[in-house]
Amino acid sequence: MSMALKREDQIPLSYSEVVREHPDVPPLVILKIDVQRRGVHYTQNALNVIDPSVHQLRSPNIFGARDAQLTPVPDSLLLRDGSSIVVDPTPLERNPYLVDVVDGQLVLTDQGEVLETVDFWTKPDFYDKKTSSGALMNHVITARPQRINVFPSGFCHFWVNDKGCRFCDVVNHLKQQRAELGIPTRQNPQDVFEAVREALKQPGRFTTICLTAGSDTRGAEPFDQEVDYYIEILQAIGANFKVKKFPSQLVATAFTEKQLARLYEETGIRSYTTDLEVLNEELFEWVCPGKAEWVGYREWKNRLIRAVDIFGRGYVGTGIVGGVETAKPKGFTSEEAALRSTLEEAEHLISHGVNVVFSVWVPRPGSYFKDQKSPSLDYYVRLAKGLHQLRVKYGLPVDFDDYRRCGNHPDTDLARLL
Amino acid sequence: MAVKLSDEVIALINNSETVKVLATVDQDGNPHATFKQSLAVGEDGNLFFLELLESSQTNRNLVRSIWFNRKVTVTVRGKEGQSYQIKGKPVRNIIAGPLFEQKYVEVRERLGDVDLAGIWVIEPEEVSDQNYWTRKAAEEAAHPYFLHLDRLAK
Ligand code: SF4
Repeated sequence: MSMALKREDQIPLSYSEVVREHPDVPPLVILKIDVQRRGVHYTQNALNVIDPSVHQLRSPNIFGARDAQLTPVPDSLLLRDGSSIVVDPTPLERNPYLVDVVDGQLVLTDQGEVLETVDFWTKPDFYDKKTSSGALMNHVITARPQRINVFPSGFCHFWVNDKGCRFCDVVNHLKQQRAELGIPTRQNPQDVFEAVREALKQPGRFTTICLTAGSDTRGAEPFDQEVDYYIEILQAIGANFKVKKFPSQLVATAFTEKQLARLYEETGIRSYTTDLEVLNEELFEWVCPGKAEWVGYREWKNRLIRAVDIFGRGYVGTGIVGGVETAKPKGFTSEEAALRSTLEEAEHLISHGVNVVFSVWVPRPGSYFKDQKSPSLDYYVRLAKGLHQLRVKYGLPVDFDDYRRCGNHPDTDLARLL
Repeated sequence: MAVKLSDEVIALINNSETVKVLATVDQDGNPHATFKQSLAVGEDGNLFFLELLESSQTNRNLVRSIWFNRKVTVTVRGKEGQSYQIKGKPVRNIIAGPLFEQKYVEVRERLGDVDLAGIWVIEPEEVSDQNYWTRKAAEEAAHPYFLHLDRLAK
């Protein structure tokens, strides 16, 4: 029997029941997880609050959303503890939380109950400006409340022979953004340089820069072209700083030591993340066939561990799509077993100085797994707690990917207490 | 339950010459008290202060307080000896947005090359007058046994 089910009737625990079950986990973090899990719907009253000159509306992104739209709704939400909820607008029939206005305040509600006040993200000053080539800056880089996002390329070469990750919609989303917004497949380094230069003119607005793109298998050695392109983009960004190294995160393919050494030495990048997505060899081969074909699960892990020698302990990470280990038909059928196995594998990596962080799995319409269901709220709370406890056990900091510099990992929100 | 601060208390807290101490507790219950001269009362009646260090003990304790509903205290003492203690709870941590950016610029103008981690907003729940003479009169009225007899001798 799954641990996330009530013993008597096998119904998943509700938000308030999960809060009672985990008095050591902040209710705000539990709420954030559930909102990410179920998504949000903005009522008309909430949409009426939007001031397009103040609020950040849905920005170009590397991945799509649950509503498969690009309509201008608020990009995401901020909670009163300063943490973000990076969350998708979700069709009403899928039972999302509501963002509404009650007594003049923006609030999150569920079944008519007001749960928390929230804020919309505010739009950075650079957003509506243009680069010298005429590109709209928010089509070149985008923002979270305290971070600059750069998506240098929205194409992933694993999709060429239909081996994209099964939860991922990157190429379908790229096609939609290209058709509807004119977002280019690849960003021009000069545009990125100019947009970042403009972004840095706003004091107090940003604490880090995160780059992520699809994998590019091409080159003398596989992925050399991906590395070359990141170096070009990072050098363009770095030209804006008076120091060589600046707070930043590269989320990319698992590169060889030689490739990583080039990235580290030739650019200002300070941290490196390469996502295993699912911590189980068999499931990795099924869920991430492209990664399995080009690198393989064990080599991916080895490259992560070797990256610690280059970037340092606490500056290397791997992301997992929390819950995808329960995808049907090959995933774990019991949440208990899925959690135990995931945390065991995570411990191996964390003990070697590699951070493991999770994002809540959202089955997206543009992905193979579009009709699947993510696991229970209780599962995610245990996963967040388990990863946090492992970081505590091994004294591993995660500053580069925390509540402020990222905001998309409930487990790293808990690192605010470390 | 929120209380409204009196004009006298607000003026005292907003006076730059007042000494202001914020006390929080860590996860083991150890008290941690620090001077927070940026403490002030905002237009909404709540106290706020600027936390400059993301990794400070105060910041971590306040995160714990806002997450698990734990109280903090602010003690202030004016140069005329007026002293108040305000118990309250952190209700908001502003880490981004227009107010954050305004305070970020202001604090850097004032202190030089410093950073701003966040603005903490504390809702006052209880105010007590901590001035010695006020407290002494209250004690004498409530506890006539709490004194030495020689003070009453002829
Ligand atoms: S590597 Fe996987 S998750 Fe990343 S863009 Fe390619 S298909 Fe998507």
